Amino acid sequence: MTATTAPALTAEAAPVDRGAGRFLMQASVVLLCLWVLGPIYLLLVNTLNTPEAVAQWPKSLVPSFDLGSLRFFATYEGIPSALLNSVLVAGLTMLLSIGIGAPAGYALARFRFRGKNAFRMLVLMTRAFPLPLLALPLAVFFIRWGLDDSVIGLALVHTTLALPFAILITSALFMSIPVELEEAAWTLGCTRVGAFQRIVLPLALPGIAASGVFAFVTSWNEVFAAAVLTIENRTLTAFLLQSLDVSPLPLKFAGGAVLVLPALVFLFAVRKYLFSLWGIANR
Amino acid sequence: MSAITIDAVKKTFGGAVTALREVSLTVRDQEFLVLLGPSGCGKTTLLRIIAGLERASAGRILIGERDVTNLAPRARRLAMVFQNYAVFPHMTVADNIGFGLRMQRAEADRTKRLVGRSAELMHISHLLARYPSQLSGGQRQRVAVARALAVEPDVLLMDEPLSNLDALLRLEMRAELKHLLAESRTTTIYVTHDQVEAMSLADRIAVMRAGDIVQLDEPMVIYGRPADTFVGGFIGNPPMNFIQVKRGDGHADLGGLHLPIPAVGGDTITLGVRPEELEPAPAGQGFEANVVVAEPLGPHVLLTLSYDGQQVRYTAPPGVTTRPGDVLTLRPTPAGVRWLDPETGRALN
Repeated sequence: MTATTAPALTAEAAPVDRGAGRFLMQASVVLLCLWVLGPIYLLLVNTLNTPEAVAQWPKSLVPSFDLGSLRFFATYEGIPSALLNSVLVAGLTMLLSIGIGAPAGYALARFRFRGKNAFRMLVLMTRAFPLPLLALPLAVFFIRWGLDDSVIGLALVHTTLALPFAILITSALFMSIPVELEEAAWTLGCTRVGAFQRIVLPLALPGIAASGVFAFVTSWNEVFAAAVLTIENRTLTAFLLQSLDVSPLPLKFAGGAVLVLPALVFLFAVRKYLFSLWGIANR
Repeated sequence: MSAITIDAVKKTFGGAVTALREVSLTVRDQEFLVLLGPSGCGKTTLLRIIAGLERASAGRILIGERDVTNLAPRARRLAMVFQNYAVFPHMTVADNIGFGLRMQRAEADRTKRLVGRSAELMHISHLLARYPSQLSGGQRQRVAVARALAVEPDVLLMDEPLSNLDALLRLEMRAELKHLLAESRTTTIYVTHDQVEAMSLADRIAVMRAGDIVQLDEPMVIYGRPADTFVGGFIGNPPMNFIQVKRGDGHADLGGLHLPIPAVGGDTITLGVRPEELEPAPAGQGFEANVVVAEPLGPHVLLTLSYDGQQVRYTAPPGVTTRPGDVLTLRPTPAGVRWLDPETGRALN
């Protein structure tokens, strides 16, 4: 057979194109993975090496699984209380975000009301408002109300940051639960609250937990408000930022790893629900 | 007992869209009533108002002697089967069927007995331990019906329950439902847009259009004596023929045929006749029509003909070997003639 006819030519050309496309695709995937995973790997290597190895040059690319840096980090003045503050603020943020966000999400999913689309838009717009612009007035008000330098005050600020996503994730979640399930429960003897408890909540619980985790991570990673609004009761991010220029290298690496790892693990665990928020099908 | 009275119920959405104009209807105790109409005619809205899932803008709903207009769904002692089944995915089949009884705080013995009985009625006793995700569409539909029957409701409401099933399964479930509900003697209101389903199941059919009930009667009366051209055209496949005929003095001339007609109306009158109510006639004793299309369908041959520029359908016996271009002489059987007003579409006789 010779490639004299047009169909034969295109038939031959197509696999080449597809092959080139696939190579480009795979190369991009590898590059993106390296872009994200490279720094994380370096972070881990330096966390798990001895403090001496971290300080010297050239650095080793293989971790020696030495816990010296972590031990140093854990006993460093101020770290344990900063860690505790981070957990408290993030936990409180999670509770507040779900407590306020889930009912708002339910309302968006189930009820028709005037200005619904505007409300949905407004929820997102809060994220467009730059926090630094708010920092000074917020600090003034917090001092006036006695909320400055407190766990609850910072959790309130973090809640405003996490709330839009909590609302949008839970509303997508409630929308995915057919309203007929609730209606069937009503006709079978449930009150509105009863139907929510018995039918909607069990079905929505994994997703609500996911949106809670996302709120937790949002607060856990937040550094600007934490640095501005706390002085004595620093969270871990604010503490590390504050001591960046004075702390030794192993402390920075260990601190970074302690911040990054929980966030990564949590987000990975709830990725399915975050994807569904952006319209990517659950797999 | 549990007759249902719908008294001048109106429904508007946002004041602008009228879903129900002013519907009044009495469903007899133990009756199987079908609400039939094209999509958007208000039949589902009416059903949801009866269920309490929607509020009427005006009017009252009575179940038996009880005025339920302002009662919550749970206080109406009814059960509903939804189009998408609405089986609870996180409960086993047994828990699904027993859900209503548990909400009534029925004793465990009674719950168990009633769950067992309705599961048996729907032939799903072997599936009680399964979860809905392990069931086929037909089986889920059975669970939904069993769940509704288990609470022994005064009234059973069904919203297009068979429309998500494939054709064969639908046929099977239809016959089964008819058998089952005839035995249970529960007052049932059943919503569908499928005229065959309505004909097959109903004691009476209420044909709805644009928020009004157009005709309420037994299936064969609706079929044979439609109240207007809409009902005649909507029910029956192929639909009723409507032929415009010139009015003479006390009779109408259809080809060589003199047909007595009602005394009311203008210059022309509409003859409504079902395709199977036409029969061949000797020359000069019927109207002549040209065959346009012949479709052999098995039980009969569907002929599409042209008479006086109007389309006429005729279901001929299976042996007929008519070809396009042939001329047939046809006449309506005396029982099959329905006269209608060409202006309003309303029946005259």
